[in-house]
Amino acid sequence: MLKALRILLLGIIGMIILFPMAYTISLSFFQNVDFTDSYAHFFPSAFTFENYVTASANRYFPRYALNSIITSLMAAFFRLIVTTMAAFAFTHLSFKGKKVILIMLLSTLFIPYDAILFQNYSTIARAGLIDTYWGIILPSVFSASSLLFMIGAFSSYDRDVYDAARLDGAGDIRYITGILIHLTAAVSATVFIQTFITSFGSYLWPLLVTNRPRMRTVQVGITMLGFSETGDAGAEFASIVMITAPFIIMLQILRKKIMDSMDIKEGESV
Amino acid sequence: MPAIALALCFSVIPFLKTFVSSFLTISQSGKAIGFAGLDNYKTLFEDKAFISSIGNTLRFTLYFLPLNTVMTFLAAALTRRRRKCTWIMEAIFITPLAFSLSAFALVFKEIFRGEVSIINRILHTSLLWLDRPGSAMAVLVILGLFLDFAIDYILLTAAFRSIDRSVIEAAEIDGAGEVRKLFAIETPMIATMLSITVFMALKDAILISAPVMILTEGGPFRSTETIMYFYYLEAFKSGNRAYESAISSMMVITSAIIMGIIAVLRRKDA
Repeated sequence: MLKALRILLLGIIGMIILFPMAYTISLSFFQNVDFTDSYAHFFPSAFTFENYVTASANRYFPRYALNSIITSLMAAFFRLIVTTMAAFAFTHLSFKGKKVILIMLLSTLFIPYDAILFQNYSTIARAGLIDTYWGIILPSVFSASSLLFMIGAFSSYDRDVYDAARLDGAGDIRYITGILIHLTAAVSATVFIQTFITSFGSYLWPLLVTNRPRMRTVQVGITMLGFSETGDAGAEFASIVMITAPFIIMLQILRKKIMDSMDIKEGESV
Repeated sequence: MPAIALALCFSVIPFLKTFVSSFLTISQSGKAIGFAGLDNYKTLFEDKAFISSIGNTLRFTLYFLPLNTVMTFLAAALTRRRRKCTWIMEAIFITPLAFSLSAFALVFKEIFRGEVSIINRILHTSLLWLDRPGSAMAVLVILGLFLDFAIDYILLTAAFRSIDRSVIEAAEIDGAGEVRKLFAIETPMIATMLSITVFMALKDAILISAPVMILTEGGPFRSTETIMYFYYLEAFKSGNRAYESAISSMMVITSAIIMGIIAVLRRKDA
């Protein structure tokens, strides 16, 4: 009885969650007539890859996708460098005002990004970075939560290693690149992937700082490709599938890791 | 040696500092011409459009928060113990994470589009979902649920699985049934994580703007115009600096309080 109820409930929630995503895939194969028919279709009336061809051949779509990949990679790369160096400084070095600076940096955790959009926008505008990759990525390069995460990882490594490396004549930079990043590779990878995904998925900020079509990222772009005006609504969904599929595959490969690493993290803290 | 350390402190830290201050410049009304006192706030609170945007945000929060909590809690509770087929549900439940906001918004626009929409076919209705105030808000709430579902699900499932097995086994020996075990023993043990997800959802709810932008553009009749969407319109479309700074300051403070609560809860959880 309970088991049946459990399966029923799971089935319902699962259906609800799955439906829009499955429907997206179905939509991406829709023929033009399927959209304008007198009743709504679940499945396309014919199965062709035409929409995918239309989307790929679009003047802007490949460019949007490229912009997104470049900016996300840049954001992830620079955030990794900045947070690694800062976390190193906070865990291994002692300098004046360390506490104050750290507190100041961490207090940015409490400032929601969306609520200061305009201030950030005018900063970027004054710097003349509208319509540039730098304008898109700069505000997301520093992240207090990533810094906190890195500090947590770095501080678990013994100072002895650092002192030994220094005795061997390794400089700070050499210590970071030669030893520390190898020890904390998993953490770095997490920060990198997280930043890449958030940056790739962001919508509002890239929308604001890009005016020229060729600088837009794909998230902004797909809402403006104008496929529906030209009667190619299917191509819009084909492009959504194309930019989402890699992430779905990655997510499913990493699924066990995502669920397990949360386990471990929680387990440690108990 | 110390030279490199200094270089690090004086290149990395000031770099970060400029970043931080760029985020912190909040409530200066551009080049201040005079002292306005609370006048900005007064005019803002006399503006009917702003008041109604507060109402809309509250309404959104009121629907979104309980639904989000119940749905993610149910999903996590039902899959909390690994069984033969849990992985299928896990795979489905985390997939929304791969979808970006704009992708979901576009798909929802299609699902709820016009009278021959797929949702009307499933529910046997003929509603113009996005053209009526009440139902447009409902669609927005559903979209919000999808955007937050996966991450909340992961957090809650992890919390359930980190509970010490011996406690549950002890309850089993005492003859506690499945339902009793869940609500009397396991739920209190994940209460902190549960409240973290609730506050995270609350923060997302009061800051919602981008989904509004793509899905409804505040319409119909400004019925889905939330505070942050109003902010976006005033700041970027009308160039109203007084409103911009006043709303921004209030929202930063409000969400800083919520995030402060989350931080305290997290510490308690750790």
